[in-house]
Amino acid sequence: MSQSETESSEEDLRYEAYIQRFTHCEPDLRRFIRSLLPTCSDADEVMQQTAIVAWRKFEQYDLETNFMKWACVIARFEALAYRRKMARDRLVFREDVFDLMADEGEEEIETRRGEHSALEECLAAMPDKQRNFITLAYTPGIKVKEMAEEAGSSAAAFYMRLKRLRHQLMGCVEGKISEANQIS
Amino acid sequence: MRQDQFSQLSPKEQEWLDSYLDGELSPEDFEAMQDKMVESAEYRKIMRRYLSVDHSLEMLEGDSPLEVVPEEQVVTKFPSPVRLAVAAAVAFFFGVLVMSWRGDDQPEGAAEVESQETVSPSAEGFAVVSGLFGAEWNEDSSGYMEGDTLGPEVFRLASGTAEIKFFSGANMTVEGPSEILLKSAWEAECRDGLVRMQVPPAARGFKLQALSTEIIDLGTEFGLSVRDGKGQVEVFDGEISIRHQDEERQLLEKGAAFILPEDGLAIATEKGGVSYPDATKFKKMAEEERLNSREAWQAERAELVKDDRLLAYYCFENADGLSLVPNLAEPRNPETDGAIILAEPVTGRWSGVQSALEFRRPGSRVRVNIPGEFGALTFMSWVRIDSLDRQYNALFLGDGYENGEPHWQIREDGKLMLSVMVDEGRPHPVSKDRRFHRLYYSPPIWDLSMSGQWLHLTSVYDPDQRLVSHFVDGEMVSREEIPDEYLVKTLRIGNGEIGNWGEPFREDPSWAIRNLNGRMDEIAIYKDALSKSEIAEIFARSRSGRR
Repeated sequence: MSQSETESSEEDLRYEAYIQRFTHCEPDLRRFIRSLLPTCSDADEVMQQTAIVAWRKFEQYDLETNFMKWACVIARFEALAYRRKMARDRLVFREDVFDLMADEGEEEIETRRGEHSALEECLAAMPDKQRNFITLAYTPGIKVKEMAEEAGSSAAAFYMRLKRLRHQLMGCVEGKISEANQIS
Repeated sequence: MRQDQFSQLSPKEQEWLDSYLDGELSPEDFEAMQDKMVESAEYRKIMRRYLSVDHSLEMLEGDSPLEVVPEEQVVTKFPSPVRLAVAAAVAFFFGVLVMSWRGDDQPEGAAEVESQETVSPSAEGFAVVSGLFGAEWNEDSSGYMEGDTLGPEVFRLASGTAEIKFFSGANMTVEGPSEILLKSAWEAECRDGLVRMQVPPAARGFKLQALSTEIIDLGTEFGLSVRDGKGQVEVFDGEISIRHQDEERQLLEKGAAFILPEDGLAIATEKGGVSYPDATKFKKMAEEERLNSREAWQAERAELVKDDRLLAYYCFENADGLSLVPNLAEPRNPETDGAIILAEPVTGRWSGVQSALEFRRPGSRVRVNIPGEFGALTFMSWVRIDSLDRQYNALFLGDGYENGEPHWQIREDGKLMLSVMVDEGRPHPVSKDRRFHRLYYSPPIWDLSMSGQWLHLTSVYDPDQRLVSHFVDGEMVSREEIPDEYLVKTLRIGNGEIGNWGEPFREDPSWAIRNLNGRMDEIAIYKDALSKSEIAEIFARSRSGRR
């Protein structure tokens, strides 16, 4: 076996190890990034950048340590760089707020996972009609405002309905989490 | 149902959060929200939870509940059925909304929507709740609203009447208690309840299943009742074909009525034995009631305009295409007519009647000039607030806010406020860059849950009694004494604006734009302090048409 072949198979293995870890923590990472930036597409962009940078630096990563934590540091840095580029845009957090949210967010990855599964249960328990409404309102590319405007005279009611459903879902998530906390 | 779980959040903090998630937060509020976030770890925590749930909802699409596609609809042609289903659902949804609002029951309309359904599968449904009349729902059901789409599901109504329009064009009126299984745009099953079907030619062939009887409509109107396992059918018009259990299929014509037992043969019976629900009748009644109450109010108004204390009374009926709104106070004085600028004529508090102006656009306003000096002022208006976007949201504001001029508005936290300039030449005792005046607030009378609701608002400046009072829907919500040094005995209006502020004295744009994001149906200004009972009476006389 030639030198270069060995290298390439080592590279393959390393890549596999990386993909496996990255894929595993991708949802958590994306959620973390999303909490720091104003929109879903901002999070997409930073997520992509994070994946590239993490791969470039993967050599420096100690396989025995927590990959999630390691990747979080990169994600946070990338999000911050992105934030600086975007700072003049609407609804971009100030740096002091960003830092606080990132510090605390890093510690709450597990909590977030719990919330996500609670939400799935809550959604499943929701009447179809309400679930369809909320899913529709959250479909990428759909703006509530446009939906509401299309809806003409009942725009306000439309908005209220989405808010009520969201509050209802939050209430349900809260309830499930506090239930779980009592049990454990 | 649990709501507003974070009771520790103030309405404003909650509102910031919601607006942030919707991308609708104003720059000022965003600053305020971030200040709060820096200050409160709890608020940050709540924020993260909200963002997390919001993110989960954003990520739904791949495994979305929209995949619940009715069995008979096949998803094969498309590379990405879910995305297309979503797109179709959206298109569909709008179609449905438009259709239900037009009240369009033409079969053409239905056919148009239905053709979309066959092109792109959709979980959004095949029918729509087009009317509800005193409808009540079982406790375990979340209930329906007019305009809700219906898919394959069991429609349960505890009491009252509902009208369901199928996209095939068939129209079903249901009286509760009832249980209807909706199968498709062409098929339903009545398990319990009273049903009237109206089936236009386009929907001929609509199938209604009842107990052991299958009814196929051949372009007609018929009633079906299922109570305690007993069925009965009656044909009002046209003909239907029924097949009861294993019996021969038979045609029933206009006037025919049959009892359909669970076991045993279908038996002919007298027609008119059951009183079937009729949505058309309900609609007509509702419409008549609306017209009556509006006509009644117009008659009342004809009396009210004769009150010689009335300075101005602007109603915005038929304002379409007009730039002038007459002052209806008698004797008429065209000099005091208002000029409509950018404000749009919209539906007022009587549905289907354009009797209001909307001040949603920042430049919208109605300019007026009301000369004279007055010993008191009462402002009264029917208002529908959609949201309080500005720090101050205008109802009626005197242009320059000069001595004796009033400002009637609503603050962003929902407090109704009335103020009068006391001495513009003197600095304000507390904030030096302001002038000497005083604001009289009500407690918050509005929050976002009241968005879109019509309210009757009244505020009174009464120098004789030294009182400023605020009223909502004819009831007093606050009364405050005017301190001696702030008492103004000579009040003026002159140039002023409804729904905005004309000539602000400060350059700061956040102060300058005060347009009301909402509608006004009418506004009256009296040169007197109306009494509590008078205000209650006027409200009672005008409320009949409230929606």
